[in-house]
Amino acid sequence: MSQPIVVMEAIVKDFPNVRAVDGGRFDLRAGEVHSLIGENGAGKSTMMKTLYGLYAPEEGRIVVRGRSFEALTPAGAISLGIGMVHQEFMLVRELTVLENIILGFEPRKSGGRIDFAEAEGRVRRFIDDYGLHIQLHKKVNAISVGEAQRVEIIKALYRGAEILILDEPTAVLTPQEASRLFEILKTLTASGKSVVFITHKLREVMALSDRVTVMRQGRHVATVDVSATSIPDLARLMVGRDVFLGVSRADGGAAGDVVLSVEDVFVPSDKELSKLRGVSFELRRGEILGLAGIDGNGQSELVEAIAGLRPVEGGRIRLGQGEIQNRSPLEVRAAGLAHIPEDRNARGLNRAMSIEENLAGMAFRRAPLSRGPLLVVGALRRFARRLIETFDIRPARPEAPAAHLSGGNAQKVVVAREVDEEAQVLLAAQPTRGVDVGSIENIRRELVRARDRGTAILLVSADLEEILSLSDRIAVMYEGQITGLLDAEGADEESLGLLMTGGALP
Amino acid sequence: MFDDLSLVFNYTLFRATLRASTPILYATLTCILTQQADILNVGVEGIMLCGAFTAVAVSYFSGSWLLALLAAVAVGTVIAAVMALAHLRYKADIFVVGMAVNMLALALTRFLLQKVLGTSGSFYDRAIVPLPRIHLALLDGNEVLRSLFNDYSLFEPLGILLVFFLSWLLYRTVWGLRLRSVGLNPLAAETAGIPVFRRKFEVMLYSGVVGGMAGAYLSLGYSRLFAENMTNGRGFMGVAAMFFGGGDPIRSWIGCLIFGFTDSIGSRLQSLGLPPQFILMIPYVATISILALAMGRKMAAQRRARSALK
Ligand SMILES: Nc1ncnc2c1ncn2[C@@H]1O[C@H](COP(=O)(O)OP(=O)(O)OP(=O)(O)O)[C@@H](O)[C@H]1O
Ligand SMILES: [Mg+2]
Repeated sequence: MSQPIVVMEAIVKDFPNVRAVDGGRFDLRAGEVHSLIGENGAGKSTMMKTLYGLYAPEEGRIVVRGRSFEALTPAGAISLGIGMVHQEFMLVRELTVLENIILGFEPRKSGGRIDFAEAEGRVRRFIDDYGLHIQLHKKVNAISVGEAQRVEIIKALYRGAEILILDEPTAVLTPQEASRLFEILKTLTASGKSVVFITHKLREVMALSDRVTVMRQGRHVATVDVSATSIPDLARLMVGRDVFLGVSRADGGAAGDVVLSVEDVFVPSDKELSKLRGVSFELRRGEILGLAGIDGNGQSELVEAIAGLRPVEGGRIRLGQGEIQNRSPLEVRAAGLAHIPEDRNARGLNRAMSIEENLAGMAFRRAPLSRGPLLVVGALRRFARRLIETFDIRPARPEAPAAHLSGGNAQKVVVAREVDEEAQVLLAAQPTRGVDVGSIENIRRELVRARDRGTAILLVSADLEEILSLSDRIAVMYEGQITGLLDAEGADEESLGLLMTGGALP
Repeated sequence: MFDDLSLVFNYTLFRATLRASTPILYATLTCILTQQADILNVGVEGIMLCGAFTAVAVSYFSGSWLLALLAAVAVGTVIAAVMALAHLRYKADIFVVGMAVNMLALALTRFLLQKVLGTSGSFYDRAIVPLPRIHLALLDGNEVLRSLFNDYSLFEPLGILLVFFLSWLLYRTVWGLRLRSVGLNPLAAETAGIPVFRRKFEVMLYSGVVGGMAGAYLSLGYSRLFAENMTNGRGFMGVAAMFFGGGDPIRSWIGCLIFGFTDSIGSRLQSLGLPPQFILMIPYVATISILALAMGRKMAAQRRARSALK
C-alpha cells in the first residue's frame, strides 16, 4: 500500500463546555476515497476543519506529505493542496460564480486589476476536464444547490487541491445529482487526487469508498477496509448498538376526514420552474402524503405558501374549517399547523438563543410554560428536558446555545418542537436531512407516531427511500405542478423517477 | 412669484449643487469603504468634526494648508484606529462606538476651541489659509463658463475623481473583490485564505483618512472657519446617501447630488420669503421620498418578475 499523504494523530479540540474531538485519528492515502462517518456531533466536521486549518487543535499532530504541523491555517492548508467543501457552503451569494471561484487566488493584470479573461480560461479547463457543468457568470444566489456544490468542487480544484474534503456533500442533493457527484469523484481519484467523504448514508460509503473511519463522541473508533465490512457492522460501530435500518411501513388506519385542502393554487417564485401553477390536492387526518420531486420544482414554494411564508396569487388553501392563504404564519399555526422548515438555520432555529428556548418556540405561549405574561421557568426546564431525552439531543443541556449544535442535532431540536405541537397538520420538509442513522430512525418513528395519533402529515423529501417507506400516498411535483398522485402500495423508485423528470406513467 | 423662480433655477445652481454635495460626498466615501467590509461607520460625523477643527487650527498656526490637511488626515486615522480596535478586537458594537465618537467630538472640539483658539461659537481669522482653488485664466472672459467651471476648490473635482477611483477599486481589482467578500460572507473569505480581521482593520484606517479629508474640506474648502457642530448632520446624510446607493460609489454619489441640489434650492427659496422651517425640512423630505420611491419601484418590478400568473 502507498504511503499515507495525511496523518492526523491524537487530535484534541475543545469548544467552550465541550470537547468536540478527543484523541481523533485519521490518515489518507493517495488516490483513495476515505469515508468518515459517525453520529451527529461525533466531531467529524471539527476533525476536518482542523485539517483545513480553520481550527487549531489543543493537542495532536498533523503530518501532510511528511511535514509535521501543530496547527494549520486555511492559507497554509490550501498551499499544501488541501481543499474543503463545507457542510454549509462557503460561497458569497451576491458575487458571481467566477468571482467566487477565483477569490483569494485571482490572476492579475497590471495595477492590481483582476484578469477575468485568464481566470475564465483556467476555470473552463476544470469544467471540461471533469465534466463539471456550471454557469460562470450567474450570481450564486441564482443557481441550484447541486450547481453550488460543483462550484465548491471547482473552487477547491482551482486552488490546486490534491486532497479534497467533502462534508456531507449528498445531504442536499437529489438522487440524480448524487450519482453525478459520484462520477465526478471517480474521475478525480482516477487522476490521482484523494477524497475525504463525510456522510451519514452508509450505502454511499459502501459504494464509493476504499476505507472508512468511524468516530463516536469525538473519539476514533475504527478504520476498516470497505471490502471487509458491511452496513450493519458500520451502523453498530457508529452508534454502539444494533440499529434497525429499514423503517417498517406500519400502515395507518383508514385515513379520516380532509383537514387540509389545496385548490388550484398559484404561487410566485424567483425561479421560473419553481412557480406553482394550479396545484390541487387533499390531505386527510391520519395519513402521510409524501411529496416527491427534484429539488426546485416548487416543493419549497408549496410548503411556504401553506405555512403563510409566501403569498398566494390565486386559489384557496383550507385548513379545517377556515381558509388560510395569505395569512400570517402565526395565524396559520393557530389554525392548527406545525412546520418543520427545510432550512433549519434560516427558519428553524434562533441560533442566538438556547436549546431550551428554541424547543419552547411555540409552547411558551400557553400554560403550563407561561401564565399570563410570565414564563414559568421550572416548567420550561422540565419541558425542554423531556424533549431532549425523547429526541436524544446532544449536548443534553437545555441552556446550551443553539449556535453550537452540530448540523444533525440542530435538526433534532426543530423536529422535536414541531412534532410535539400535536397539530392537525404537520408540514415536514426534509426532516432527516443531515441526520445520522440512529436519529433518522428516531425521527421517522416520531413522524409515524404523530400520524397514528391522527396528525395529517405532508412529507417533502429528496430521499426517495424516505418517501417510499413513510408515505401512505405519494404526490410527485414537476415544474410547479403535481404530475402524479399514487398509492404507496403501487409506487417504486422507478415510477417515481419517471414522474419526477416529467415523464408519464404507462 | 413665478418671475422670481428664475432666481432660484438658473445655471448657477450647477455650481451650488456641486459645492453643497461635496462635504456629504466625502462623508459617503468614508462609510462606503467600511460598509463594503460590513462595518456601519456612523462615527463619520465625529471624525469629520475633529478633522475640521484640526485643519483650521493647524492652518492658522502654521500657515500651510498642506500641513493642515495632513494633520486632519492623521487625526481622522487615529480616531478610526481607536474605533477599529474597540469594534474588531474588543467586540464593541460599532453603532455604539460610532455614536460615542460623535458625542466626544462635539464636546472635545468645543473645549479645544476655547483652550487652543481662545474663543467660543466659531473661529475665523484672516491667517487661516484655505485649500487652493483651481483657477483657469482662460475662462475669465465668459461669465457663464466662469461660474460653471472656474475656481473650484481642489477637493471638489478630486471628490468626483475619488468616486470613480473607488468604484474601479471595488469592482475591478483584486483588493476590491477580496474586500467585498469579507463584507458579504466573512467565513467564505476566511476559507479562501483572506485575513478577515486585518482587512477590516485596514479599511477602517482608510476610512479615517477620507473622513479627515472630509473635515479639512468642510473647514478649509467649503468654508474658511471653524464653528461648533459645523458638520451639522452632514455625516449622517453621508450615511443616508450610502444606503441610497446600496454601498455603490456612483449611485451613492447621485444621492449626494440630490442632497446638494435640495440644499441649494432651499437656501435660495429662503430669499423668496418662504418660512425657514419648511426650507430646512427640504433635504430630509427629499431623501425620504426618494428612498421610498426607489424602493417602491424596485419592489414592484420584483413582484412582476416573480409572479406565477402569466
Ligand atoms: N463553533 C463551535 N462552538 C462550540 N461548539 C461546537 C462548535 N462546532 C461544533 N461544536 C460542538 O462540537 C461537537 C462536534 O461537532 P461537529 O460539528 O464536529 O459534529 P459532526 O460530527 O460534524 O456532526 P453532524 O453530523 O451533525 O454534522 C458537537 O458537540 C458540537 O456541538
Ligand atoms: Mg458536521
